[in-house]
Amino acid sequence: MTATEAEAETDSAVVGEETYADGTLVRDPDIEESLSQDEYDPKGTLALLLVYFLILALMWTYMYFVEFLGNGATVIG
Amino acid sequence: MSTPGETAGETVDSAREMLPDNSFLIQYPHVSRVVRSLFLTAFVAFGIGAFMGVLQALHRTGVARLVDSADYYTLLTLHGVLLVIVFTIFFLAGVFAWANTRSLDRPPVSKRFTWFWVATMSVGTAMAGIAILAGLIPSTDISADVLFTFYAPLQAHPIFYIGLAVFIIGTWLAGIDWFRQYLAWRRENAGERIPLQSFMVLTTMLMWFIATMGVAVEVVVFLIPWSLGIMPAPNPLLTRTLFWFFGHPVVYFWLMPAYLLWYTVLPKIAGGRLFSDPLARVVFVLFLLLSTPVGIHHQYVDPGIAEGFKFIAMTNTMFLLLPSLLTAFTVVASIEHGARQRGGTGYFGWLKALPWRDPAFTGMALAGLMFAAGGFSGMINAGMNINYLVHNTIWVPGHFHLTVGTAVALTFMAASYWLVPRITGRKLYSRPIGLFQVVLWFIGMVFMSAAMHRGGLAGIPRRTAEPQYPQVTFETVAGSVSSLRLQLAFGGVLLFVSALLFLMNVGLTAMNNKPARNLDSALPPALSGPDQSPTVLDNLKLWALIAVVLVILAYSLPLYSIVQGAGLYPAGQEASPAVIAPLLEVIA
Ligand code: HEM
Ligand SMILES: [Cu+2]
Repeated sequence: MTATEAEAETDSAVVGEETYADGTLVRDPDIEESLSQDEYDPKGTLALLLVYFLILALMWTYMYFVEFLGNGATVIG
Repeated sequence: MSTPGETAGETVDSAREMLPDNSFLIQYPHVSRVVRSLFLTAFVAFGIGAFMGVLQALHRTGVARLVDSADYYTLLTLHGVLLVIVFTIFFLAGVFAWANTRSLDRPPVSKRFTWFWVATMSVGTAMAGIAILAGLIPSTDISADVLFTFYAPLQAHPIFYIGLAVFIIGTWLAGIDWFRQYLAWRRENAGERIPLQSFMVLTTMLMWFIATMGVAVEVVVFLIPWSLGIMPAPNPLLTRTLFWFFGHPVVYFWLMPAYLLWYTVLPKIAGGRLFSDPLARVVFVLFLLLSTPVGIHHQYVDPGIAEGFKFIAMTNTMFLLLPSLLTAFTVVASIEHGARQRGGTGYFGWLKALPWRDPAFTGMALAGLMFAAGGFSGMINAGMNINYLVHNTIWVPGHFHLTVGTAVALTFMAASYWLVPRITGRKLYSRPIGLFQVVLWFIGMVFMSAAMHRGGLAGIPRRTAEPQYPQVTFETVAGSVSSLRLQLAFGGVLLFVSALLFLMNVGLTAMNNKPARNLDSALPPALSGPDQSPTVLDNLKLWALIAVVLVILAYSLPLYSIVQGAGLYPAGQEASPAVIAPLLEVIA
């Protein structure tokens, strides 16, 4: 256990006969393939994060209208 | 404390026979018992806390007032303390006991010591809980209506503070237990990288040791002597500052176990592998360094703290966004890896290849999504100027029900669906109910939290039994205040139903006669392993030292100026219940 965690690139038996969580969802070896670090390019992650940053920027803009245009000036200090 | 798994002897035996030899329950029956007992306390606290939550949601919106408004603070204290101190910390102690043992592949050094800290935490919790509950019985003069932020001048009965102190000591002993377990491993594995889960447990506990110094001083030096009548009332600003010294990092104490589950368990459930082990380590080190020197961001409107100190706290806070953004990347990339291994394609199409029917997966994924939304409102809270807009409004509970109330709580519920079969040997009672429950929590929280955020923007205060004032009309940006109230109450009811379904499902799992199967507890290795990272990452002493230095830099001057300002015990300071009690009689 320790070994699997601490050692890099042990590709063996990562995909195989295994079941999920409570044993109900069985993996299908037909459609599964093992993707190593070099073969894998997380472009979906990039896409999702870009969407998130876009939403953040829009929400910030929205807050600007609420804070500065919706109310009078805020006194600081 | 009963241990569910041990009650029906025969079934457990037959269940255990079916488990593979490498399953956690077979290898570590004792640790499994410890985890079960910690989870039991956590779930009881969760149930009571959720009940208080729905009472509050119905009460403050005026939908149904089932209790006297004068008792609102007792309920609110119970809600806060039971959920963010008892539920979260007992559950995470269970997760850490499991994770440290699993990843070091060896049991704790002493069984008696382990039970000793479990007992210490439990006794402390019972004392604090009794003090709060006694507030509902007027004939006792015991009460602790001080909310989970418990600083002066609100005063509780000494048994509340003593209980808190005992509880904190229990968590320290737990940390010591996990360090001893690690050191025993280290003696046999000189020169090896610390296994990832253990690394996460240890860095989190180092952070916790530093963070709890503030609350320990607050409680032991000031609050206990004051509540016993030995010492005068302390400087409220000082106790507030000591509280928030602890009050921000405690947020990461809840969150880091959730991250541990996202980094190590979630990729496996998704059928993939952790994207990068070194990145995970960097994130935990950053949390150790930056969690504590930011607490003053909770005090942006406190008079008596110079703006410059607040500015430093804000800057540190913005840096603290970094590890959370790194986490978003690493965790999503690990899940995507699983989806692609299982045939997923395209920029967004891979999302369809994820195991959405597994409540453990879906719960954690929805928890992560909520956390992303909480990231937005957190950035608003963190800004010194824009904080004025939302400070002490219901926006703030809207924010932290996304973070601790969902990112953490929903992750813990989802993880329970995965972990409880592993520590009981029993099959999950119902997967569909589990799935329904986690989705229901998500939907309930969308309603409740959105209504809270919007209500806060309209200026509706938090911590208020009856925020309806004839002289004041709250102006919302869109929609009416009465519709916001209904949404808040509706969301609260959905959340409560979801909590009940969860407790029922887990309870029936603990009593399930069907044995769990195929509970492999090995976790797949990271795509990019630890040997590609500098070993200095594992130098815990170095990081702990830097963390302490940062805390000293951030806090010594503010604390000094607070003590210089009003002193430790300003004259004329009075305890608050003495003021509040007659006031409530006037209102009632
Ligand atoms: C059944 C689910 C829940 C409901 C209906 C609920 C409802 C509420 C409401 C309405 C408030 C605001 C009260 C006020 O300011 O007047 C509140 C406060 C709070 N909730 Fe929840 N909540 C739930 C679950 C949770 C969970 C799971 C957590 C954390 C793990 C949590 C932590 C808190 C905290 C810390 C407060 C602030 C208490 C204070 O101001 O002292 N809640 N909750
Ligand atoms: Cu904070």
